[in-house]
Amino acid sequence: MRFNQLVFAYAMLFLIGCSKQQGDAPVAQSGEKPLTIGVSFETLQTEYWVAGFEAIKSELKKRNIQVLEATADQDASRQLQQIKNFITRKVDGIIMVPKDAKTCIPMIRAANEAKIPIALFNRPADKSDAKSVAVVADNTKLTQETVAYMIEQARKSGQKHKAMVILGDLGDINAIGRRDGFEAAVKGNEEIIEVVARVPSEWNQEKAQAGVVNALQANPDISFIFTSSDFLFPSIVSALKAANKYKKIGESGHVILGGFDGDATAYQMLVDGYLDATGVQDVYFEAEQSVQAVLDMRAGKEVPEMILDPGFVIHQGNLKEKAQRMWGANVKK
Amino acid sequence: MRANVLARNPLAGAFLSEYFVLLLTVILFVALAPFAVGLASSESALNIVAYLIPLFIAGTGLTIVLITGGIDLSIPAVIALTSVVGARLMTGESSVISVAVGVGAMLGVGAAIGAFNGVLITALRLPAFMVTLASMLFFNGFAVWFTQSSNIGDLPANYLALGKQLPIALTAAVVIGVVFHLLLSRTIFGRWIYALGQNAVAAHISGVPVQRLTFATYVLSGFCAAIASVILTGRLETGSPVLGREMLLDVVGATVLGGTSLFGGRGRIYWTFFGVLFLTVLDTALNLMNLSQFAVTMSKGAVILFAAVIDATRRRFVAFA
Repeated sequence: MRFNQLVFAYAMLFLIGCSKQQGDAPVAQSGEKPLTIGVSFETLQTEYWVAGFEAIKSELKKRNIQVLEATADQDASRQLQQIKNFITRKVDGIIMVPKDAKTCIPMIRAANEAKIPIALFNRPADKSDAKSVAVVADNTKLTQETVAYMIEQARKSGQKHKAMVILGDLGDINAIGRRDGFEAAVKGNEEIIEVVARVPSEWNQEKAQAGVVNALQANPDISFIFTSSDFLFPSIVSALKAANKYKKIGESGHVILGGFDGDATAYQMLVDGYLDATGVQDVYFEAEQSVQAVLDMRAGKEVPEMILDPGFVIHQGNLKEKAQRMWGANVKK
Repeated sequence: MRANVLARNPLAGAFLSEYFVLLLTVILFVALAPFAVGLASSESALNIVAYLIPLFIAGTGLTIVLITGGIDLSIPAVIALTSVVGARLMTGESSVISVAVGVGAMLGVGAAIGAFNGVLITALRLPAFMVTLASMLFFNGFAVWFTQSSNIGDLPANYLALGKQLPIALTAAVVIGVVFHLLLSRTIFGRWIYALGQNAVAAHISGVPVQRLTFATYVLSGFCAAIASVILTGRLETGSPVLGREMLLDVVGATVLGGTSLFGGRGRIYWTFFGVLFLTVLDTALNLMNLSQFAVTMSKGAVILFAAVIDATRRRFVAFA
């Protein structure tokens, strides 16, 4: 008897599970059921992506929109499967952080074919016939501004500096933008900055640390370091401490440090007086714009293909004023 | 004794059968279907099939290597390098000839990397683990250098069909599965492979050409990984120097979960299919259940561990019986 009851209960659940997928898409505007938006991130490996993920979920919650979440562990093939699963579940929109600018095109196309609006958070797709909206930081410009501030500090010291730049995964368009921003900023300032090390990190802390250690051994007088992402700072700080070069601003032997992202580590380093500047991506702006873009596309409104997050440079001079908008400062709280 | 158990109890029979992992997959599907909205749908079935095909093809080559007692860690590098080499040759082209040249080059490069591994393992008698680990690092780096980290798009439409049209990829997977199954089960080559994995010295004394056989298995593994790359590259419409980088654990995990021994001498192509199917259904179901990534990863690890423990218990029981 009990067994029969169990079988019956399971059969009911199974039917409910199957019938849901037949999927009457929820209708938010009518107020009956909330919309559902699928959010797929290629990774949650760094604080920035976690903060972005949370900002999007919080923005959706604020608007009474349900979330389906997925993370692809840096595997484009898996992400394609996840996007197709969203389509199977007949979501009302998709927000995605793609692995790169090209492999996301079939994913966008799949969403287009299913008539599901799709926005790309923080990473744009290459030009193609696939239609999407990308909300991205202006990596090149923001990096250029950050490095320009660092160069200004270097100039004030009155001496020439040997510089190191830690590059990201150059398969990632954001990493390329930051590299280009760095190169553009140092170009024309050769009398102040001589770039002696370009360390590839592939967005990997161990690789970054090994690269920084090697570069410091080869060039012990490096006094200017820019990292393409703040999440690599623990590796850099560790290498600097080992070389007895981790000094506060104003102390003799201070290495001018700059980064990009605006994470909690960078915030703490700013507060403690070790970090000169970092370019902050406005996660809240990007999350809000991504959600709004999906809703606007769903409503049939015209949305530009690219929405730029201007971001801002935070440094010792404007720390108090800008900290509230720095996502890393809020994570810390 | 085993026959008695089987005769007395069909459940015990299923537990002891070589289809046990398939049975586990069915149980997993039935158990999760009520909670994973959309899992029991035709769209989801198509997603599962599409996702498992490259894993299965790469796993097929690995199965043969594992049966001989070897290992091939270079599979992700083969996938990445063949992807960018093929894409470089085909980008901007649209003729059938360019597609044939591109795909031919991909398969050739895959087999060549397999041959490179095979030569180092047989001629220099280096451990397969070290050789394939080193070639994974080298060829992964080479793929990144070859493209300067950039992806290659603008591939011909008739090539993209290889990855995007499921019947073509499915046919390739079925043909490879059947051919390799027959190779292992119906030919002298297959018997040699098992003999080599069970006892290499005895196989050598018995006249099995151990060196040539080992070499051939790595070439086949490289070739299979290249076919997987043809499909993946077509599906993602991109030659990527990091394609397949995260696949190794899934391929090795699925093959071993299917029942192929890491110590050689035991394995079947359809076992690998069962392992791949189990992992893919699990992955899809957890994804559709809308769990957080942390919950998905932990659940996946726990379910795979549970399945492995059950399977190991079953094998001990079978051996005892």
